[in-house]
Amino acid sequence: MTIPELRTQAAAKVQAMQSGPNPIIWLGLATCGLAAGAGDLADAVQDELEQMGVEAHVLPTGCIGTCYLEPLMDIQKPGRPRICYAEATPDKARVILRSYLAHDDPRADLAAGTLGEGEIAGIPRFFDLPMLKPQVRIATRNLGLINPEDIDHYLAEGGYEGLHQALELGPQAVVEEVSKSGLRGRGGAGFPTGRKWQLARQADGSPKYLVCNADEGDPGAFMDRSVLEGDPHSVLEGMLIAAYAIGASEGYVYVRSEYPLAIKRLAVALKQMRDYGLLGDDILGSGFSFHIRIKEGAGAFVCGEETALIASIEGRRGMPNPRPPFPATAGLWGKPTNINNVETLANVPVILGRGAEWFAGRGTERSKGTKTFALTGKVKRSGLIEVPMGMTLGDVIFSIGGGILDGRKFKAVQTGGPSGGCLPARLANLPIDYEALAEAGSIMGSGGLVVLDENTCIVDMARYFLSFTQRESCGKCPPCRLGTKQMLAILEDFCEGGGSEEDVALLEDLAKAVKAGSLCGLGQSAPNPVLSTLRYFRDEYDAHIRGKRCPAAVCWGLFRAPCEHTCPAGVNVPIYVGQTAAGEFDKALATIKHTMPFAAVCGRVCHHPCEVRCLRAQIDDPVAVCALKRFAADYMMAQKDRPAVTPPPPNGHQAAVVGGGPAGLTAAWELARRGYRVRLYEALPALGGMLAVGIPEYRLPRDILQREIDDILAMGVEAQTGVRVGRDISWQDVLAGDHDAVFLAVGAWRGAELGIPGEQLPGVLQAIDFLRDVSLGKESVALAGKRVAVVGGGNAAIDAARTALRLGAEDVHLLYRRTRDEMPAQPEEIEEALHEGVQLHCLMAPSRIAGKDRVEGIECARMRLSGFDDSGRRRPVPSDEADYTVAVDHVILAVGQQVEAPPDVPVQRDRSGRIVVDPDTLQTSLAGVYAGGDAVSGPATVIEAIAHGQRAARIIDNRVRGIPVDAELLEDEHPAPPEDAEIPEHPRVPLPQLPVDRRTSSFAEVALCYSAEAAVEEAGRCLRCHLGEQAALEDETPD
Amino acid sequence: MASITLNIDGQAVTAESGQTVLEAARAAGIYIPTLCYHPDLPPAGQCRLCLVEITGFRGLVTACTTEATDGMEVRTDTPEIEHLRRLTVELLLAEHPSDCLTCSANLSCDLQKLAAELGVDRIRFRRTTRSLPLDDSNPFFVRDPNKCILCGRCVQTCRELQGVGAVDFVERGYATLIEPSRGMPLGDSDCESCGECVVRCPTGALAKRDRRQPTRRVTTICPYCGTGCSLVLGIKGSEIVSVEGDRESPVNHGRLCVKGRFGQDFVNSTDRLTTPLIKRDGNFVEATWDEALDLVARRFAEYKGDAFGALSSSRCTNEENYLVQKFARAVMQSNSVDNCARLCHAPTVTGLGQAFGMGGGTNPLADVEGAECLFVIGSNATSAHPVAGAILRAAARRVPLIVADPRKIALVKEAELHLPLRPGTDVALLMGMARVIVDQGLHDAEFLAQRCENLDAFREALADFDLDRVEEITGVPQNDIVRAALTYATRKPALIIYSLGITEHSHGTDNVLGLANLALLTGNVGKPSAGVMPMRGQNNVQGACDMGAGPGAFPGYQSVADDELRAKFERHWGCSLPPEPGRPEVEMIQAALEGKTQALYCVGVDPAFTVADATRVQEALRACEFLVFQDIFLNGSAEFADVVLPGASYAEKDGTFTNLERRVQRVRKAIEPIGDSRPDWLITCQIAQRMGASGFDFDDPSQVLDEIGQLMPSFAGISFDRLDDGGIQWPCPGPDHPGTPRLHVEKFNTPSGKGRLSALAYRPPAEHADDDYPFTLTTGRNLYHFHLAMTCRVPGLMAIYPEEEIMINPADADELGIRTGDRVAVSSRRGRLIAKARVTDMVAPKGSYMSFHFYDTPTNVLTQQALDPVAKTPEYKVTAIRIEKADNGG
Repeated sequence: MTIPELRTQAAAKVQAMQSGPNPIIWLGLATCGLAAGAGDLADAVQDELEQMGVEAHVLPTGCIGTCYLEPLMDIQKPGRPRICYAEATPDKARVILRSYLAHDDPRADLAAGTLGEGEIAGIPRFFDLPMLKPQVRIATRNLGLINPEDIDHYLAEGGYEGLHQALELGPQAVVEEVSKSGLRGRGGAGFPTGRKWQLARQADGSPKYLVCNADEGDPGAFMDRSVLEGDPHSVLEGMLIAAYAIGASEGYVYVRSEYPLAIKRLAVALKQMRDYGLLGDDILGSGFSFHIRIKEGAGAFVCGEETALIASIEGRRGMPNPRPPFPATAGLWGKPTNINNVETLANVPVILGRGAEWFAGRGTERSKGTKTFALTGKVKRSGLIEVPMGMTLGDVIFSIGGGILDGRKFKAVQTGGPSGGCLPARLANLPIDYEALAEAGSIMGSGGLVVLDENTCIVDMARYFLSFTQRESCGKCPPCRLGTKQMLAILEDFCEGGGSEEDVALLEDLAKAVKAGSLCGLGQSAPNPVLSTLRYFRDEYDAHIRGKRCPAAVCWGLFRAPCEHTCPAGVNVPIYVGQTAAGEFDKALATIKHTMPFAAVCGRVCHHPCEVRCLRAQIDDPVAVCALKRFAADYMMAQKDRPAVTPPPPNGHQAAVVGGGPAGLTAAWELARRGYRVRLYEALPALGGMLAVGIPEYRLPRDILQREIDDILAMGVEAQTGVRVGRDISWQDVLAGDHDAVFLAVGAWRGAELGIPGEQLPGVLQAIDFLRDVSLGKESVALAGKRVAVVGGGNAAIDAARTALRLGAEDVHLLYRRTRDEMPAQPEEIEEALHEGVQLHCLMAPSRIAGKDRVEGIECARMRLSGFDDSGRRRPVPSDEADYTVAVDHVILAVGQQVEAPPDVPVQRDRSGRIVVDPDTLQTSLAGVYAGGDAVSGPATVIEAIAHGQRAARIIDNRVRGIPVDAELLEDEHPAPPEDAEIPEHPRVPLPQLPVDRRTSSFAEVALCYSAEAAVEEAGRCLRCHLGEQAALEDETPD
Repeated sequence: MASITLNIDGQAVTAESGQTVLEAARAAGIYIPTLCYHPDLPPAGQCRLCLVEITGFRGLVTACTTEATDGMEVRTDTPEIEHLRRLTVELLLAEHPSDCLTCSANLSCDLQKLAAELGVDRIRFRRTTRSLPLDDSNPFFVRDPNKCILCGRCVQTCRELQGVGAVDFVERGYATLIEPSRGMPLGDSDCESCGECVVRCPTGALAKRDRRQPTRRVTTICPYCGTGCSLVLGIKGSEIVSVEGDRESPVNHGRLCVKGRFGQDFVNSTDRLTTPLIKRDGNFVEATWDEALDLVARRFAEYKGDAFGALSSSRCTNEENYLVQKFARAVMQSNSVDNCARLCHAPTVTGLGQAFGMGGGTNPLADVEGAECLFVIGSNATSAHPVAGAILRAAARRVPLIVADPRKIALVKEAELHLPLRPGTDVALLMGMARVIVDQGLHDAEFLAQRCENLDAFREALADFDLDRVEEITGVPQNDIVRAALTYATRKPALIIYSLGITEHSHGTDNVLGLANLALLTGNVGKPSAGVMPMRGQNNVQGACDMGAGPGAFPGYQSVADDELRAKFERHWGCSLPPEPGRPEVEMIQAALEGKTQALYCVGVDPAFTVADATRVQEALRACEFLVFQDIFLNGSAEFADVVLPGASYAEKDGTFTNLERRVQRVRKAIEPIGDSRPDWLITCQIAQRMGASGFDFDDPSQVLDEIGQLMPSFAGISFDRLDDGGIQWPCPGPDHPGTPRLHVEKFNTPSGKGRLSALAYRPPAEHADDDYPFTLTTGRNLYHFHLAMTCRVPGLMAIYPEEEIMINPADADELGIRTGDRVAVSSRRGRLIAKARVTDMVAPKGSYMSFHFYDTPTNVLTQQALDPVAKTPEYKVTAIRIEKADNGG
């Protein structure tokens, strides 16, 4: 029979089945499906069909790529489109089978999508799902759609048309066609496939060999496995075409023995090919003979390297040899050998079938066609994907992958497997293309794509990947075997809190030497994770080595507990949580106050990065660290016999602090309790800075704040409010005084402008001014019955909006130029604002504030999200949609704050007005004058300001004592943790909230406090990882 | 070879095409460091120290693997390269133990030298020294994996050079190690202890146990097998403290086997005979040389003529053999002189002599290199001639190797085809192959027409060997016979290699003729890499035969019956000589039993244990009236002697040995004779002189060789002073003649000048397995031993292989309930012994195999004296035996 005849026959068979009376049940029975429970599903389906007495064709199919939806079950009734049901548990499957097969109700609510022609109401087309829509499936064209164990299915889908065309064209023309298509090796290096074939074709020697490299060894990569399991014939047809082109008579599929299902399906496919005359001597009478053998590899990573693979097939230890000679001239058994990987070969039939031009029409100038990836890591929708070359990394991660899990920040992506590179979020616009990836310091590799979020430590990740390549090194050459070992040792030191600057230099030296000096691709690429992270994340290395900090709180050698480590002020979280759990609330508060003075404040307004890293989050929710802090403070404040604060004996030194915000107050407190005489100057009438006049009262009641400030003053701080240095008292007086040191913490008080017309109109307010005026009780902000637009997406915008509501505003519109996902405000704040009635308008960029004499409305351009900015967030660009105008009476701008230090401060400042300090000592350009808080960092969080104050005080004290500035002198007491108790299994104990109807009418505090019982319960949820029992929970791998 | 010019570091360098960049650079004196590179080994490119930059190449490439091409631009000295080299050495040093001062490799360590050369003066990296256990399971050397830099030289040496593959890389990543096969200690692995890896190890990872340093070195020839490896003895005082292969040797190029490298301890053994012994009242008592020599001279004088026999040693020098036969013929008037070749390669002399006109191997060993087909039959070369065996093993990876052997010998693993013929059916196999070649028209018609004779008779004889019959006789499937014949006939040049599996038969001469037939038929003789090569068993079997230590011919195969030739010798020796051929060895033994041979002069032989049917031999020795044994040890046969004379070992005398490729090589005195021992040549001369003979007044063996040259045309051009550069292959008819690497290039040495095809008929072996004796025993050599007296004095060899083993096929063992290690009783129609069983499929069902290296397991009590009718060699290779499980080791 000819190939067209075979195809006609196959199509008729498949058609007969589809149009027959029995429904077809397709089950995703690839390894990924089985791992997700498809085996149980298959049993349940059989059982249910029997019980129902329904006859149906139950067929296996491969992996359609949506791993996060597994297991999958499709039902195809005659004449209807096939419906795909996701996450099909046995119970769910039984329900679906009964309702659809017995009652003809397809349960649209449970369906993921339809496949094939036609529509079913209420069910989207599967390939229109966000994960699938941007994909272009060439190598994976049949995956999840056909029965991989039936050659007729492949033939019916156009299978072996490529071979048919190839045999018509003749070998040389096939090579030329593949060259013209621009196909490059998908195994990693991207060598042009056509050129490789030409070399093998020209080489002298007989027999010639054609090897399919299915030694997929990257951890987390499963592209080849999926293709072999889901559509083995696409690869085998590619092999036939390649063999025909180069003149090979013998073929091997070198496949890992860890892929038993792939091996089985290959074996089935080979038998069917032989039965159809598509394999063996004189294939379909063409005179072309080709034999294929399956060779199982033992799973050594290095056997993916061509020369090692050859050694392995020959029965030797899989170790690479120097090239030249290249396999094309002297490969397997010394004969000309062409080796292509699975994906490359799977593309070939399509190139021959549809033509080189069609294929070359996809992708970029240099990289044609598509690329499959195993999209894994901290991404919402993981799976096997195939995208056109040139798609940006960001699009893959966000459009296909759905962004980062749990709303965390996108930090980096590792492409190309363990020997690829780690590219930072700011390269999200990088197109997927061999050269572009190489220039960025990574590789295409075989297509691993591991997405990393902010909880990934880059140094640890480099260590992890290197430990893999080090383990998999064949050991033959010293640079690879020993160089990677040394590199790993250095990285391990970094992760354990050791290492020095010289080690970084050594690491870089080694990495370059291993790359340049290694024998094979494994060693030459093994340093990529290190080199790329050194290139893009040097600051994180510095944090480990110089700062002895792991910002992602992953490297346990550097800290006791992630919460404590993540807290900028270093509050001893595990201890006070433990004390709370033990009911020792007084000790808990003492623990907090041992480190910083603002327990009640931080317990309310801290953005609690500690909770982001909490290990308990891996089980259910993080421990409510912030609320427990508040509880300790509030509980003790309510006690009558609270111990009075007593100042320590003076130490004879003096210091001045300018600015009474959290940074200044903390520094003053810290110095005072070390015996300094501290004078503090505050320009506003009240102390507290942003705490007092920036954060609305419903979040931070003034009396609470005042009580903590009182405790600071009680330590002996002499504060003068309403005194602006430079106006009410000269800088000279402060600086020339008999102070040992001066600490400047003057804040960032100027609101940023949008730079659009109408910004000067009456009715336009800066959020920072608005909030301050409200706090200070000024009348300028009567909003009752008014319509208000707040522009911005940060906490200040939310604060302004919610405050406006409380002032009686009729409508409060929140305008933000990106989407809610990108809003920098704390998610719970956004949530509360919407609860309270704030109307959120996303993708709105104000273009003009309308009005003659005062604000009448705000015109916005409608935006859409386009590429990515440096932070890895989508960038808004104007859309084609019409502008939109919101009619309002007031516009409150909350688009940023700037430092507005008095112009006569005699210290150096940068262009944006921030005070310049030595990052190691916080010292300004003037000796003895230090600075911190927002004035130095720009607008930051309360806890960061506190940390600055703390640090400044310590540095000043150490300077005065004449010891190194980073010495920790105040003894850090570590109270014994409470005795072991059962750790409750339930999720976070909910925090009581003020009912919404009682909120907008007043500034009463919204978030309420835990009861003592609730606090004990919640604190008991702590896993006590600081006791060293984290090992069981620790997620070793970044994916 | 074409010359090319390339540019290295700005310098124009001329090289030969085919050379690597490294070779070209080194030849031009440009330094490129290496660690894994070794000139004997294929380049591995793995130490990464020879990385160079070549214009047009991506990245850096290894100079050792890259072929130099014309016009190539190479840089070896860029800062990047130098930095990389230093860093690589630094990495190696970081994991290397820093115990240089006590390391065996101190000052010879390549790593140490490189560090100095590259100026690595500190280690910036973390120390990662390993603390793996030492492997001290080998008696000769110790493996310290901690000092291993994984250069892979040992792996390559063992795999590529030795063809053994006893060590390989294991594990991955930093844990990668080089370990003996199957994860066992070296002592239990496939390691053959040749020590070649130790020689090539660049560090102290592989180190000889004996670390004594010699004060002087003497180059000489190994006293073991017939390969004739040249070795360098390291001497301290009067002791051999080291042995190295002679890299200048054209034979072994520096390579040695376990015995050659580690088996020379016997020389300084405390068991050495140091004084003459005379038997008085059944016991040996020490005597002075005068007493002993006087006694011998007096008694020998009583047995002149037919009653006297001499057995000379193929382990002694040419000169000594010459003197023994001269003594027998000229002084004792007896042609009954023989040497141990009678027990092994006599059929080679007769067979090749008959077919080609000369009883020597036709080609040099180096011709293995150029052969396109190797046919190895009846030669377990890897055990019996290990260095030659290794060369074959390595060649087999290149070209087809056909192995015909009843056993699955080590070479079978490398072979394209194994023909497991039944013992003693060689003629059938060989004639069957010849028949296939003729039937398929693959014979070399032109060669046959011009250079061969007796073709018609030969063709006629082939008629008897249709393949059905051949298969039935040999047990080899017809297809394999056809394949073997076709491969041999079409892959030219083809070399036949054989040994005692061919000769030690009651039809050994026919077997040799069968091989000669194949070579003549296909024109595979008289050409480079085409020929017939007997693997001579002992160091000087070739020489002993050449020297006339045989009953029928004077030195140089000049027949004693030829009046003209005899007259020449009479003239030279100044005496009359008997014209009748004497008795060969086995017949001498028979004659002794019959009272005809009454006195025997045994020099360096041990007939009571090495001659077949040993019990009978011992009776014969007892029957002799006067027996003189001359040896370095009181060997097993010496107990029958009346006088024992202490000879000197090879290391204590000058002379020449002739190896299996007819190469006459110099044996040089390295130490003074041990104790009161004397060189054998001197002893023979002194006996003769005391008997009043002239012509034995030599001061020095060189004078003996000069006399040989005068009498033996093929030695006419050979003298001591011409032998310093690798020896000369005879024939060497004149002082300017370079010697003859290949025989029969122009014509054969037969009377007609033509090669003679032989019309052979198949004769079954003399003894058959039957119900009483159901197993067929073949005997042969073991890698770790060499006959009896020498290697059993080498403690290391005895540690590796301490006792006799009999190989039994697993199926038979099952049936008999025997497991490896069990004691079994082995009996033949002639004798019985107890041996340890080794169950292995190396032998076929109903086959078995033993060596003959242990006095306490005298294998030859089993064997029979069925003789080849021409060569008079016994059929050691076929003995019908019974194997039974022995009770309690009894």
